[in-house]
Amino acid sequence: MRALILICVSLSSAMAQQVVAPTSADVGPRRGENMGDYNVVNSFEFGYRYSLIGGDLGKYRSDVNYGNGVRLLASSLTVNSRDGKGRIFDEIVLTTLGLGNDPYQSAVLRVQKNRLYRYDLLWRLNEFYNPGLTIAAGQHLMDTRRRWQDHDLTLFPQSKVRLRAGYSRNTETGPALSTIQLFDDRSDEFPLFTNVRREFNEYRVGADVELHHFKLTVLRRWEFFKEDTPVSINGAESGNNPNDLTVLTQFHRSEPYHGETPSWLVNLYTGRRYLAVNGRFTYSGGRRNFIQDETAFGITRLGVADNRQTLVFGDARRPVVTGDLAFSVLATDKLTITNNTSFHNTRIDGNSSFQQFDNFTQTRHFINFQFLGIRLITNSTDAQLRLSRGLSLFAGYHYSTRLIRSIEFAGLPLASQTNHLHSGVAGVNWNPVKPLRVHLEGEVGRNDQPFTPIAERNYHALSTRVQYRVSKLQLSTGYQQRYNNNSISLTAFGSCARNYFADASWAPNGWFSFDAAYSRLHLDTLGGIAFFAGFGRANLVGNQQSLYLSNIHSTHLGARFALGKLADLYLGFSLTRDTGDGRATASQSPNPIQNVLTGVQTFPLSFGTPLARLSVRINEKLRWNAGYQFYRYHEYFHLFNFDQNYRANTGYTSLLWSF
Amino acid sequence: MNPAIRLSLMLVVVTSLASAQSPAPDKAPPKFVGNTVCKTCHPDVSLNFYKNPHYKNSAGCEGCHGPGGAHVESHGNKTLIRAYSLMSPPQVLNACLTCHSRDMPRANIRRSSHTEADVVCTSCHSIHKSAVPKFLLAKVQRDLCYTCHTTVRAQFEMPSKHRVNEGTIQCTDCHNPHGTFAATWRMGSRPMVNQALNNEEPCLGCHSDKRGPFTFEHASVRVDGCETCHSAHGSPNARLLRRPVVFTLCLECHNGAGTFGRRNDGVPLQTPSHNLLDPRYQRCTVCHVRIHGSNSNQYFLR
Repeated sequence: MRALILICVSLSSAMAQQVVAPTSADVGPRRGENMGDYNVVNSFEFGYRYSLIGGDLGKYRSDVNYGNGVRLLASSLTVNSRDGKGRIFDEIVLTTLGLGNDPYQSAVLRVQKNRLYRYDLLWRLNEFYNPGLTIAAGQHLMDTRRRWQDHDLTLFPQSKVRLRAGYSRNTETGPALSTIQLFDDRSDEFPLFTNVRREFNEYRVGADVELHHFKLTVLRRWEFFKEDTPVSINGAESGNNPNDLTVLTQFHRSEPYHGETPSWLVNLYTGRRYLAVNGRFTYSGGRRNFIQDETAFGITRLGVADNRQTLVFGDARRPVVTGDLAFSVLATDKLTITNNTSFHNTRIDGNSSFQQFDNFTQTRHFINFQFLGIRLITNSTDAQLRLSRGLSLFAGYHYSTRLIRSIEFAGLPLASQTNHLHSGVAGVNWNPVKPLRVHLEGEVGRNDQPFTPIAERNYHALSTRVQYRVSKLQLSTGYQQRYNNNSISLTAFGSCARNYFADASWAPNGWFSFDAAYSRLHLDTLGGIAFFAGFGRANLVGNQQSLYLSNIHSTHLGARFALGKLADLYLGFSLTRDTGDGRATASQSPNPIQNVLTGVQTFPLSFGTPLARLSVRINEKLRWNAGYQFYRYHEYFHLFNFDQNYRANTGYTSLLWSF
Repeated sequence: MNPAIRLSLMLVVVTSLASAQSPAPDKAPPKFVGNTVCKTCHPDVSLNFYKNPHYKNSAGCEGCHGPGGAHVESHGNKTLIRAYSLMSPPQVLNACLTCHSRDMPRANIRRSSHTEADVVCTSCHSIHKSAVPKFLLAKVQRDLCYTCHTTVRAQFEMPSKHRVNEGTIQCTDCHNPHGTFAATWRMGSRPMVNQALNNEEPCLGCHSDKRGPFTFEHASVRVDGCETCHSAHGSPNARLLRRPVVFTLCLECHNGAGTFGRRNDGVPLQTPSHNLLDPRYQRCTVCHVRIHGSNSNQYFLR
């Protein structure tokens, strides 16, 4: 049994590590220690993480973002009442990650007392960095921090009447760089500095009531969102395009945007031996109020001095109603049939009053209005038939009808369209001997009026997977295919995605385990496009094709060695390489239009991260750890004559201990 | 009558009919032996069981494994007790759902893709040897999902990705492995995606600034969802975009052809002032900054 546990732990630890720290090693007694009426299991990993980056720091921060500093890399604490009759609590589970300094931090807490209460907390922090990419003229940079917290309290969690209350908060703050185009839609764009301030709060209360095989869930929520991001430019600002005469000398914008979404959820379930029925109804009434006051002083592209004030105010509403009714009929032990009908109605409308004053004269004043209604009704019937213990079949038919009604601009008539989707699914699960499982599944669908040229119209999907699993070894391989053809008389779009994968995990004994995976993700799409091209008077260029071809090879290797009882060594490597369409360089064409298109038809790159980690046991309750991880990002095409390549040496050293 | 009240009444009638089914026939009289007897041969399971959530709820070992009398008398014959390792996937599912069917997140488990693929409770949850105390998962959640979803793992190892491997995001932030109500999320797609905030796309649970409502919505975002432009798991391209440069992404829809779009006459083509040979017009979002929706400009310029 002990060997089996060791093997399971080895398999799971070998699977895990894409980031070198924290250390996945056990410290302290596995069963914990008894303290009074409680049992305590804990571990804390405290250490220093470092990084040395060469090349494009912005791209490194966008992809990886680990920096230098001391932090609590990870911690875990579980406290359990031994008799289930603790005075204040019976269980505490707390796990944390990266607290103190990492760009990705989280804390998960559960405290509960049997039959009385259960409290769950999830707190997370994410440092988000987006480099000012060349494809966005070096702008649209973001360096923000997002924090989430979710609190949920359940009273009487094991009784037939449960009461729930919760609170969630999501904030995003930090500097960003955007753009504004002034003074008309042919003018120059100017960088715009903003300080992002977004805040979302949600309060919820609800109850679950069980009575005579019925369970009723009622949940009431109130969501509030506000954004008060200030925007400004100080002093004269030149635009992105040196040939444009537009000059912006002063700009200010206030744009408070507040709103609320009250909502209801009611769910009723009943289940007996042969039949289970679930019905759900939700309603949310989203509403946002906004005002935008903008002043700009400068010179237009025609060389005329302009001062402009723009004032926009209004509101937007989005009530969403959904209803679901599902029946599961367990006709025999071998046959299950489920039918589900869903209704989803979204209605978005809003108006905005637009006033513009140029040189103190009101030049534009109009009221805009837009409406978009989406009503979707779906019905699906799925059946699963077990022919023998090792063989089962399943099949389903799904039907959707979607009505879209739209008024795009004030004054336009209501436009509407209806789309019908028919799709069929079928598959087989075969388990000829216990370790071997085979799964095969296919889906075919037909849409008669997709909304966009790239949406599904005539599509099919195939998926197969074969898995062999015994206690020390797991092998699996599979193939997935998704083809879509959305071609009509004037335009064509086709996409072919083919994925192949194989992976293996092997833990022959307690001191060695190995994990490897390979995936090949192939995608090629071909879409008909039309655009304008030409300096001076641009001409419409039709019958062009946007081709995109991606061949991503992804490899993952990991091996864990236990060096006696003294130390653990983990070696890992992962590589993602997009070989594109096989071209070594972005080919150049004498035709300038073809030149623009061929350069972006494929985007070969490689992203590799080898890593090594050593964990040394000092005593039963203390380990010393050190690790190194190298990141290399390389683009093979110099898109827009620009590289974002980088190399990063990162690592850490830490102490992992248990009290 | 108010449609909401009418719908609620219909649900009550339907569920009443369902509950009127005849009860299951009685089984043979059970021979229960009690936890103490189980502990004799299974001390490793019994010793730590007080930490298990089932310790608080079930009627001991036999609450899940059935009466153990015959199993004990046969000196441990696994076929004479409800041994989950010997049960077929539907049997495992039915056994667990005896207690766990009533929670709303599992309301759609019978028609979920996992159930259809014979991936049932014990495929992911380890009742006696869980690696994660919360929800008794057999492994850390991401590794559990990666066990089968190898291609998804490859997507999360790409340069631009949601931070699942780093630990900030979990698969269940967006997906419900027990099946979801979200058949209405996107036509032809059944990825067991959780609906956020009661009934909207899961992305909006975190990206609340993209939620709106806006006076001027980018209609494809509302109709077909964020995945029209973004690869949610990971992408070689910045900002999880489906293309390395933004203009090809935009032009593939905005080609003016066919019966697509809001007015059934094609998604609008850009105006002649947009000369694609000029690099400034290859950077669509430099001017169309509010591409997810705007309150003051129908072309998303401000």
